[in-house]
Amino acid sequence: MSEQVVQERHWSAHKERGSLILMRLTAFSVRVFGRRLLTPVLYLIVLYFFASARSARRNIRQYQSYLADWSGNASLRPTLGSVFGLFIAFADNLLDRLDVWRGRLRFEQVTLVDPSGVRTRLLHSQHGGRGEILVVTHLGNPDVCRAMAELGEQVPLNVLVHNRHVAQFNRLLGEAGDRSMRLIQVSELDTAMMLDLSQRVERGEWLAIAGDRVPLHDGRRVMVNFLGHAAPFPQGPWLLAGLLQCPVNLLCCLKVDGRYQIHLDPFLDTAHWERGRRDATIQGWVQGYADHLAQQCLMAPQQWFNFYAYWQPAQPEATDAN
Amino acid sequence: MNALQQEIAQLIIDTLNLEDVTVDDIPPDQPLFGEGLGLDSVDALELALALQKRYDIRIASDSKDARQHFTTVATLAAFVQAQRDACAN
Repeated sequence: MSEQVVQERHWSAHKERGSLILMRLTAFSVRVFGRRLLTPVLYLIVLYFFASARSARRNIRQYQSYLADWSGNASLRPTLGSVFGLFIAFADNLLDRLDVWRGRLRFEQVTLVDPSGVRTRLLHSQHGGRGEILVVTHLGNPDVCRAMAELGEQVPLNVLVHNRHVAQFNRLLGEAGDRSMRLIQVSELDTAMMLDLSQRVERGEWLAIAGDRVPLHDGRRVMVNFLGHAAPFPQGPWLLAGLLQCPVNLLCCLKVDGRYQIHLDPFLDTAHWERGRRDATIQGWVQGYADHLAQQCLMAPQQWFNFYAYWQPAQPEATDAN
Repeated sequence: MNALQQEIAQLIIDTLNLEDVTVDDIPPDQPLFGEGLGLDSVDALELALALQKRYDIRIASDSKDARQHFTTVATLAAFVQAQRDACAN
């Protein structure tokens, strides 16, 4: 490992623990004090985060300058104000997530942008038919999608998460009122669980999995061009889709002009590769996904909450196959 | 190594596209995952799907058995044999 890699700690190494404590504290405080009282407190916490986390500031600055260069829109270039604005948007995002979990965000407050009826397919797939895959993006607020998917009806959805604290998170979600979503930890996937997932898809259940975060000990990654620079993306969702031969849809939730918009876009009718063409085919899909993600960044440029170094060099992980 | 074990070792090599690996490189008792051959969970799924197709069997997922069947080539061969015998009866 190079020094650079050692310095740039992987997001999964530090993110969840901090965010779990923060979420727990915030969940408690919102219950006790209400959102209005808590908002300034959270702004202070984020201000402290902004002032103290130099690498997070640098990473956001890098994202903003890549986005500006790639889009040719000079007004997106980073300034102290725009970097700070993104941190503030993060505070709002946390508060919104708590509203979602407490069931305070109603369906009428969210706009569904689903021209090809992906949600209808999801709701009907349990009555015959095979499941599909939703590739989820961390831009914006994915929690809103989860809450909306569940609203009113039981949705047969399995969410694969990169989170070492799933058990605690499940408990916290339970406390907060998030009910039936089945969360599965990616690092715990083994033969039996993979078979279980494949049989769930046969029975019409869907899988949701993040397409924009690379698991730590996973050599299955692919470098694609994202906002004009090479970035690692996971192969996992695409491998699953190809092996199970199911359709792939893209899911993203952005806040535009103060309102949440859920975007559901069909992406692959059936994930399938020719023999011996697997890596090249996946490379093509992931590049298409990265291009789609880049367009969505333009729709909500201030909702990129990846504070770690996103554009990392490819790391050969010869010993990490297990 | 018996014939079925050899067949399964070859199926593993073909399915997972293991370059430069021959049947002789996969002793029946070598662990397939982790320290041994170093397969991961995506390989496991691919292998399970290939086995189901090839031998027309169904591998249940709701038990700890699946984990044990997939330990080595020998355990896989024993499992496939048992499934075939069950079908034959």
